[in-house]
Amino acid sequence: MFKSIAKLLPTGTAFAHCDIPCGIYDPYVAQRAAHTVIRMTQLLTDLKREDETKSEHDVARLTHVKEDHSNLLEEELDTLRNDYFKEEHYKEYANLHELFVKTLKSSAKARQGIDMEAAQSALSGVQEIAEIFFKTKGVEPVRVKTVYPTGGEIVLHK
Amino acid sequence: MLLLRKFKIFGHSMEPAVKYGDFVLVSSIPYCFFSPKERDIIAFNYKGKVLIKRIARIQNEEFYLEGDNRNDSLDSRSFGKVKKSDILGKVIYK
Repeated sequence: MFKSIAKLLPTGTAFAHCDIPCGIYDPYVAQRAAHTVIRMTQLLTDLKREDETKSEHDVARLTHVKEDHSNLLEEELDTLRNDYFKEEHYKEYANLHELFVKTLKSSAKARQGIDMEAAQSALSGVQEIAEIFFKTKGVEPVRVKTVYPTGGEIVLHK
Repeated sequence: MLLLRKFKIFGHSMEPAVKYGDFVLVSSIPYCFFSPKERDIIAFNYKGKVLIKRIARIQNEEFYLEGDNRNDSLDSRSFGKVKKSDILGKVIYK
C-alpha cells in the first residue's frame, strides 16, 4: 500500500548529512568520472565484433564501468550542489543551478546510451562548474590538457 | 502541516538503515497522537534544509539526534538538540 501511495507523491530532498562538516570539496573526481564516461563511450563505439562471445563480454564490462562512473559523476555533482554551494553562490552565479540541471541530464543520457554528444556535454558542464567552484574559493581556475586517451582538458587552479 | 511526504535521501549518515538514494515516506500523523520516542527516525528542519536522523535521547522535551553511521554524521553532537516544532514527521516507510 505504501509503495502505491509513494508513487503518487512528489519527491522532496532529505539530507542524511555526512559532512562533519569537513569542508573538503573538490570537483576533480567529477571531472575524472566524466572523462571515464567519454572513454567508455569511445571504446564501445570502436569495439570490434568479430568474436561474438568476446564482444558480448567486452560490451558488458565497458557498459558496467560507464554506468558506475556516470553514477559517481552524478553523486559528486549532488554533493557540490547540495552541500558546498550556498545561496549566495547561486545568487552570484545565476546560471549555476541551470548548469547543474543540464550536466546531470547529460550524464543520465550518456549512461542510458552510447551517446558521445551527451558524454561531452556532461564533461563540458562539470568543467564550467569546476571553474565556478574555484572562483568561489578565491583561486584562479585554469584549464590543463589531460594525458588521458580522451584528450581534452581538466580544470585545476593556479 | 506535513501529513505525508516523500523524500529522496542524500548522504550516508543513516546507513545502513537508510541508504544514499533511498526514498522514504514521512508523516506527521503519528505525532498528532503520540510523542516522538527514542529510536524513531525523523525528518526535521535544519538551516532551511530537511534532514533525517534517529532520536537517540529525549531530554526536557528536546531531542538529541544521531545518525546511525556515527563515524560519518552531522547531528546533535555538532548542532545540539532539536525542538519538537522543528520535527516534520516520522519516517514510516523506507
